[in-house]
Amino acid sequence: MAGYNIPDTDYMVSGHVGCPGCGATIAMKFALKAMGEKTMVVIPACCWGVIAGPYPQSSLKVPILQTAFATAGATASGLRAALDMKGDSETTVMAWAGDGGTFDIGIQALSGAVERNEDFIYVCYDNEAYMNTGVQRSSATPFGSRTTTTPGKGWKKNRKKNMVEILAAHRIPYAATASIAYPEDMIRKFDKARRMKGGTRFIHVFATCPTGWRIPSEMSVKIARLAVQSNVFPLYEVENGVKYTINVEGSRPVADYFKIQGRFKHLTDEDFEKIQNMVDKDWELLLRKTSYFDRLT
Amino acid sequence: MKEVLEGSHAVSQAVRLAKVQVMSAYPITPQTHIVEALSEYCADGTMDARFICVESEHSAMAAVIGASSAGIRTFTATSSQGLALMHELLHWASAGRLPIVMAEVNRALAPGWNIWMDQTDSLAQRDTGWIQLYCEDGQEVLDTVLQAYRLAETVNLPVMVVLDAFFLSHTFEPVDIPGQDLVDRFLPPFSPKIALDTSDPFAIGQMAPPNVYMEMRRDVQKAMEQVLDIFSGVEQEFLNIFGRTYGPVERFYCDDARIIMVVTGTAAGTCRQVISDLRSKGEKVGMLKLKMFRPFPVNLIREDLGRVQKIAVVDRNFSFGASGIFAQEIRAALCNHPGHPPVFGYIAGLGGRDVTVDTLAEIYWKTKESDAPEDESVWVGLVNC
Amino acid sequence: MKMAQEPENGKKIPLFISRSHILTDVNKTGSWRFVRPIYREKTAPCSTACPAGQDIPRIEMFFNQNQFEDALNTILFENPFPSVCGRVCFHPCERVCNRAGLDEPVAVHDLERFIGDAAARGELKPGLKKLPAKGKTVCIIGAGPAGMAAGYFLSRMGYSCDIYEARSEPGGILRWGIPRYRLPETVLTFEIDRIKQYGLKISCNTPVTHDFVEDAKNRYQAVFIACGHGRSLKMNIPGEHMADDGLDYLNRLRKGDTAPSTTTAAVIGGGNTAIDVARSLVRQGTKTTLIYRRQKQDMPAFKEEVEMAVEEGVTIMELFSPVKIEKHDEEFVISLQKMKTAGMETDRGRSRVIPDGGPGHQFRTLKIFTAIGAEPADPWLSPLQKTDATLDLSHCTLADSDPPLLYGGDLTNAIQSVPDAVASGKQAAMAIDIFFKQGRHAITDRLNSCRVGNGPALSMARYMGEKQRNRHEDVVSFEHINLDYFPRESRAETKTLSLDDRVRSFDEIKTTLTIDRALKESRRCFNCGICNACDNCRIFCPEIAVTLHAGERQIDLDYCKGCGICVVECPRSAMELQEEG
Repeated sequence: MAGYNIPDTDYMVSGHVGCPGCGATIAMKFALKAMGEKTMVVIPACCWGVIAGPYPQSSLKVPILQTAFATAGATASGLRAALDMKGDSETTVMAWAGDGGTFDIGIQALSGAVERNEDFIYVCYDNEAYMNTGVQRSSATPFGSRTTTTPGKGWKKNRKKNMVEILAAHRIPYAATASIAYPEDMIRKFDKARRMKGGTRFIHVFATCPTGWRIPSEMSVKIARLAVQSNVFPLYEVENGVKYTINVEGSRPVADYFKIQGRFKHLTDEDFEKIQNMVDKDWELLLRKTSYFDRLT
Repeated sequence: MKEVLEGSHAVSQAVRLAKVQVMSAYPITPQTHIVEALSEYCADGTMDARFICVESEHSAMAAVIGASSAGIRTFTATSSQGLALMHELLHWASAGRLPIVMAEVNRALAPGWNIWMDQTDSLAQRDTGWIQLYCEDGQEVLDTVLQAYRLAETVNLPVMVVLDAFFLSHTFEPVDIPGQDLVDRFLPPFSPKIALDTSDPFAIGQMAPPNVYMEMRRDVQKAMEQVLDIFSGVEQEFLNIFGRTYGPVERFYCDDARIIMVVTGTAAGTCRQVISDLRSKGEKVGMLKLKMFRPFPVNLIREDLGRVQKIAVVDRNFSFGASGIFAQEIRAALCNHPGHPPVFGYIAGLGGRDVTVDTLAEIYWKTKESDAPEDESVWVGLVNC
Repeated sequence: MKMAQEPENGKKIPLFISRSHILTDVNKTGSWRFVRPIYREKTAPCSTACPAGQDIPRIEMFFNQNQFEDALNTILFENPFPSVCGRVCFHPCERVCNRAGLDEPVAVHDLERFIGDAAARGELKPGLKKLPAKGKTVCIIGAGPAGMAAGYFLSRMGYSCDIYEARSEPGGILRWGIPRYRLPETVLTFEIDRIKQYGLKISCNTPVTHDFVEDAKNRYQAVFIACGHGRSLKMNIPGEHMADDGLDYLNRLRKGDTAPSTTTAAVIGGGNTAIDVARSLVRQGTKTTLIYRRQKQDMPAFKEEVEMAVEEGVTIMELFSPVKIEKHDEEFVISLQKMKTAGMETDRGRSRVIPDGGPGHQFRTLKIFTAIGAEPADPWLSPLQKTDATLDLSHCTLADSDPPLLYGGDLTNAIQSVPDAVASGKQAAMAIDIFFKQGRHAITDRLNSCRVGNGPALSMARYMGEKQRNRHEDVVSFEHINLDYFPRESRAETKTLSLDDRVRSFDEIKTTLTIDRALKESRRCFNCGICNACDNCRIFCPEIAVTLHAGERQIDLDYCKGCGICVVECPRSAMELQEEG
């Protein structure tokens, strides 16, 4: 069968300290294939803060600016302003933050930057918990998940925050979800975002964490695919906050995705029913949003 | 060209003359006039710069850190709560060795809300690795901001130019605004030692394991240790071009003084009057105005204060559980100095309470009439207790 | 790294910050590993089921990648008759195709036909080389599929071959036994001519006697007897002489005999020949009934053929055994004994039948054809002379003699089919080559090392040291396939003649696929067990530790952490995780 058609040049190198099977490293690999060498990456505290390479190493062939946890959106804004003032219109600034630095501690700076429509790409690689500090819950942790701060019977009973929707409400020029299991779709979106200069672009990448999710490392990509196939993590794009386009329609039951992960192994059939219901309703809402645009224009 | 300027506008004029290119700030009284002026300059083209209206002070410092990392001249301004909110990033800017200049308007910290003069906010950041320069009047503010860029860009350390809330920020004084050509002679275009570049990629802010962290920190201090020398060079050049100089400390009638009062900020201006009055009555008193607080000019303190009979330090700040901070630092500077005089610490003018000629006179007389300090810190001018 | 600027006071400003100046590729993270991925091609089930041992996944892979000549050469490496087999093979490959677990088996049979026919139209040129001449000549008796295949493989290996054929033209059962609507003559002639281009000599109209064979042992360095079953079996019932021989009938049709048939006819038998006779009669306008002594499901004829016969109007009378044939005026009367099942013939996998004890039946018809099986025409071949030292291989028998004397084709094969005939020719050719190079004692083991997976079929590619020799004999099962990469797609349908058109003429029933349908169909093949360069391993590797040099993929063991993603994302089980150390 014909394989995935993706660019061949890599701007990430081997020898990084990502866990075996780390979805975040696959995500960066794909992202940089699309972004190319005229990119500067702003990395707040997160797994990638370590994977970027302890002194004196770097795992990327493009400049990296590491910054404090809450600041990705603000630092990227400043970096962009400086490049503009220096007359550099080619370099793209790409903030690369985890779910913690995007959904929680970093949400203010992100919201501020998006409201100002700063010209950079903000990427959240989402492994659904504070993985770098040892698997504590974030507001991106899904309903049903055990983490070290939602352990045992205290498993997370709040649903996952929807960052794309939050930013769509800001009328961000471009927001999209992407998945490491769909390389062509992901690279297309990064390429699209790169070429859309002048405003903020947000890409929410689903990045499996075998370590934190208690799954075998070899299942990393397959599980990411299952999340899309079961509509738990739909792939879609939102333009200007109003035009929704769904990229892949899933049809598998959520249990297929949940049952094979250690972080969900305490869930019962009743829980799965509840989750299936939630996912179905969210999916229906998403479907409706794809048809709203015609009525708005 | 002399103009009657509000202290805030002495800052903004200096920033304009310094040709800063990226600024970011969050409004907080009494810094607002600074940022409003700068926004106008950007809007009407007076400055060719970007002003990023961020959504908090923490983001303001992050934004200038981001910009400075690309090798461009940056500026921010804040006060009290804002400065406190920026705290983690102040460490980042200094250990990141970024030559950022910030105007910090000394304002009291909440709770209860108090927008008036107090030094605790800037002094509480004394460990963050920023050079701190305290200003007495509008002229000094303008001049110090210009000097700050020269200094920062030479040693690769950020500089905080500190001015009193309202007493300086909102007080109108005649200020000489130098011409652009003079300033250009003094302050050349920024030539960064750190600038991210896609054609020569590197990463900064990487994880620094135990085997290197200490050396990196040591270099921050080693740079700090060169500041005094470099500052004197900067001031010499400034003197040559603009005809004005300040010094890291200023000795006012100190030569034969038995008691020296150590004062900072606008209170130093009031103190000059007090010293004149006391001298006219035959008192052997002088004032050491402290401009440079970080790096703390230990040798100058030892030189200038080591021989007097008594030292009276006026602190418009307090470190709870300890004492006034300037007094603390002076005590520390003198503790290994043989035969050093007693240090009388006085707390005055917190939260906008005025430090008047009477306050300072009271401090002098108390010092003169006591053999030894009655307390680590003596609170002056209290009402109701 | 940029140098610090000199400050005014001449001292250098210390500027040691956390700034990188080298890339992480100095870290050989391969030391983290406790399992490692390996490329380990395995055997596809279709290849093990194919009697000719065809490398089916590789054929479909080449075809799908538009490398049509590579696809053709891959077929020709194992089988010289793609257009023939693409029409008459009973495609056991499709019965074990892993794709059936998802939707429907891949139409391997139709794809083989497509490729063969493209070559026949001159659109594809084969490129298999002939090894240098070995200076030995092999005598082959019978130019049927087994004999022609043996000649083909031996010629490729550098041997000269003299083939002796009793009939006027080569082809054997392909020409004389299988009707035109299944196998047009032009197709057969093209593929035989392609074999002839390897330089073998065919002498037709030369029947061979036992004496000839004895003499051949002196003149040739090896002899392969594959003369097939030329004589029909007898029922040994009264009146049998009044029945026509089914095989003769088919021969006559092939020779162009256009004599009209009768309005009714009976065909006795249940094998492919019986069905061929019945369906040919239908095309001549005869109402045909087939009489078979066992159950329909036990008929040795290919199931598809039986179904088509029924569709075309052949009536099948099962569980009837003829006991007598008589003639009454113009009609024949067959006395039939009704049979019933009684237990199983465990060794043949079919029911035992015995007379049901009831009264007999009679069947009236204007013509009777018998096709109950065949045996070698020459008595000295039936049964084959064997001693203790005779080597019975899966598809041929090696007598104890020097020079080597082998029997093959229908003489020895358990299943009498065209691909089994090809297997026979191949096995004999290999055995002869091994005999010359290493001696008789080496034959069994050497042949075993060339088997495809766990089946009896042999791979010429393995034998001749091609890439396939490294392929592991483990067979890929459906569970090994990563179905994420294969959406459901229905199987390509070929156009067939309508039933009306079918029964009216001897025209070919099925047409060849169109190129678009063929390409689409080939894409349905999982390519079980082989690497088709989809690049998933390299694409998904988080360590960028899969390298590509000159079309070959390799794991960079300096960096591979053994996460195993490559193995899971390999859609077709061409990789495995192996314990480290």
